[in-house]
Amino acid sequence: MRTYVVRRLWQSALTLVGVSVLVFVILRVVPGDPAKMLLPEGAPQSAIEELNRQLGLQEPLYVQYGLFVQSVFRGDFGQSFQYRAPALQVVTERLMATVQLALAAMLITVGVGVSLGIVAAVRRGTGYDYASTVLAVLGQSLPNFWLGIMLILLFGVALRWLPTSGFESWRHLILPAVTLAAFPMALVARLTRSSMLEILGRDFIRTGRAKGLAERAVILRHALRNAAVPLLTVLGLQIGTLLGGAVITESVFAWPGMGKLVVDAIFFRDFPVVQTVLILSATLFVVINLLVDLLYTVIDPRIRYS
Amino acid sequence: MPEHALPSVGRRRFLTLSAAGLAVAGLPRPSHAQARRSGELVAGLSERMLTLDPANHYSISSTSVHRHMFDPLVDVTNDSKFVPALAESWRPVNNTTWRFTLRKGVTFHDGTPFNADSVVFTLRRVKENTKLIKSFVYQDLDSVEKDGDHAVVVTSKRPFGSLPAHLTMLGMLPPSAGKNEEAFFQKPIGTGPFRFVSWTHGDNIVLSANPRYWKPGQPRVEKLTFRFIPELSTRAAALRAGEIHVIDRVTPDLVETLKGSRGVKVFDVPAVEAQRWIFQLGKEPVKDQRLRQAISLAVDRNVIIKELLLGYGRPVDSPVPPGLIGHTSLPPKVYDPEKAKQILKQAGYTNVSIDFVLMKDFYPKQLEITQAVAAMLGEVGIKVNIKNLEIATAREQRSAGTYDMFYSGWAHMPHDPDWYFGQWFTKAGSEKLTRYNNPRVEQLIAEGRVPDPKVRQAKYEELERILWDEEPEIWLCYTVAIYGVSDRLRNFEARRDYYVLLGDVSIA
Repeated sequence: MRTYVVRRLWQSALTLVGVSVLVFVILRVVPGDPAKMLLPEGAPQSAIEELNRQLGLQEPLYVQYGLFVQSVFRGDFGQSFQYRAPALQVVTERLMATVQLALAAMLITVGVGVSLGIVAAVRRGTGYDYASTVLAVLGQSLPNFWLGIMLILLFGVALRWLPTSGFESWRHLILPAVTLAAFPMALVARLTRSSMLEILGRDFIRTGRAKGLAERAVILRHALRNAAVPLLTVLGLQIGTLLGGAVITESVFAWPGMGKLVVDAIFFRDFPVVQTVLILSATLFVVINLLVDLLYTVIDPRIRYS
Repeated sequence: MPEHALPSVGRRRFLTLSAAGLAVAGLPRPSHAQARRSGELVAGLSERMLTLDPANHYSISSTSVHRHMFDPLVDVTNDSKFVPALAESWRPVNNTTWRFTLRKGVTFHDGTPFNADSVVFTLRRVKENTKLIKSFVYQDLDSVEKDGDHAVVVTSKRPFGSLPAHLTMLGMLPPSAGKNEEAFFQKPIGTGPFRFVSWTHGDNIVLSANPRYWKPGQPRVEKLTFRFIPELSTRAAALRAGEIHVIDRVTPDLVETLKGSRGVKVFDVPAVEAQRWIFQLGKEPVKDQRLRQAISLAVDRNVIIKELLLGYGRPVDSPVPPGLIGHTSLPPKVYDPEKAKQILKQAGYTNVSIDFVLMKDFYPKQLEITQAVAAMLGEVGIKVNIKNLEIATAREQRSAGTYDMFYSGWAHMPHDPDWYFGQWFTKAGSEKLTRYNNPRVEQLIAEGRVPDPKVRQAKYEELERILWDEEPEIWLCYTVAIYGVSDRLRNFEARRDYYVLLGDVSIA
């Protein structure tokens, strides 16, 4: 187990080095000039060159990368071109908003998605099953942009129950979290239903019922736990995606998260911010995947790493 | 002022109102007792503020925020007249020297007095620190010296007639800001009507009233919040839900929805901005003036304004919008496809094909407009390839000159056309843009840089006539600035420069 974890950590480090090189090179190879994007339309060429020099972009690529790696080890990800503040600070501020939104969406995904899936599987072929299928299809097919706007118009403008947008209190979190959760929730509901159905047909379930276990215990303790392994894989991937930022949901709800930040940073060629976001979210992704792999052993003792 | 009672302000209405406003401005103003300051105003802006440093951006949204914390030396009215702010008066000593007399008795938010040292510090900083975004504008300054505590003399390496205009965009800082700029801009102070309270990056900035503000009666609310809501439909929803009181950058197709919402009004005003398509003048085929003329004749600007911009555009009568120095009314650009065909035939053009480059999603309706233009030009036998490119990529293509037409615009931000002319119609300025080159125009631009407004007007009129004939670009229309406003606001002015200025606005 320990050697496995150590090996995985090494692999992760290699992955991150690869990500950093790729991001660094791609950003500088694609057309687009940061100074030109920062200065207003109509700044003279001399001003553009001067600013690029100030931003350190006149150096050869390998020198820039060398300097970047050196400073990363000091915890310095460079100055954001746009914000003129440390990139890491700019990103971590937004990361908090992203984490809040991602966790709220995950809660809805797991809570609603798994419940819907269980109900659909247990009451297979009934109205519950159809209703949950319809919900799942809607969740997967409604575009986030449309769903978000509709929720705003209904709950924000027409009923005025919830704020339309912004980042202030838990009430501001509800609509964006529901919007963001729609897709993964549907995915989880369908997956739970199918893997529950498979498990519910197994011999050990019949045995459980035969020995007089309460139906509740049969479903939650025996069936769900066995159905959980594929679910965990999907949830792990989903939370990685959510933490990477949800550009559309963030845009619709004016949520100051990382997704919108990185898209703007790409538009404006704010290299330090793009690098920081990508390296940070790659790290999160790698760590979460490792945790998920380790969780398998907890949920299913038959799985062992050596 | 009667503006707030109107559902929208059209051009005619605006002109009448401006005239009325000018008349009223001449009368002594009633002073508003401090006790009348009450309430909280919230504005929704289209662009996120990136910095609290007024010298380090040219963003209009950021300017809207900063203008409430920092005062400039010179202010500009909605009809492009330059009026005193922290400078009581200014005059050119000669073609390369300006003298500014400063207002007395003004203090920064921490109580320190505003004086010549502040001006010297602010101007030297923006000139010397070339990292600042506004620095390039001030490179032609030679010296900034105080003349007593309340006067500053600025000399420049060349005639700098547009300096007062540029200074409308530069908030004055206390010299103490120089000790530790990073710390200063965490919690900046200025002389403006509001004081900085907090900034939640990417979401909002909160300001509170400055009770010692030098303009009598201002500000008229206790608290002012700017929320940054880039998505227009969300901004509009927040306005309709009553969460915010004013939004900027409304597009024409949203006007009806807003007008139909309870408690919401729409204001519009012709902006100091023109929509324009530039030609690549260093390259066949559009370097040929005859082809450009044919293209201009083949575009039905009125149909575009009426059908695609829903009337929210004004026909152009000069490269420079009305109100600005140098504007002169020139003959309208007519739609005459037959004549266009004739010119093309005479010039021997058959099967012309041109690339029309767009910066993706940069201007409202730009793709629809370009498609309409492609159809119109198709009618006279010119094939248009639309290239809708990501912004930075499109700009790279423009620098490289690999385009024939490029969808652009120009907001005459300091309410002065010198920047526009210098950028687009001098050899050095247009080098990486359009490759425009006409020595006579270049000379007129240089001669138009003097402070004397009469000389400037004459030079600009002559140069605009040349441009009007040469058609180095197609001027589509002057943009109309549209704002959505809560009917609880009093005294709101729809600005032609897209600023949202709320110092004199109160809430019912």
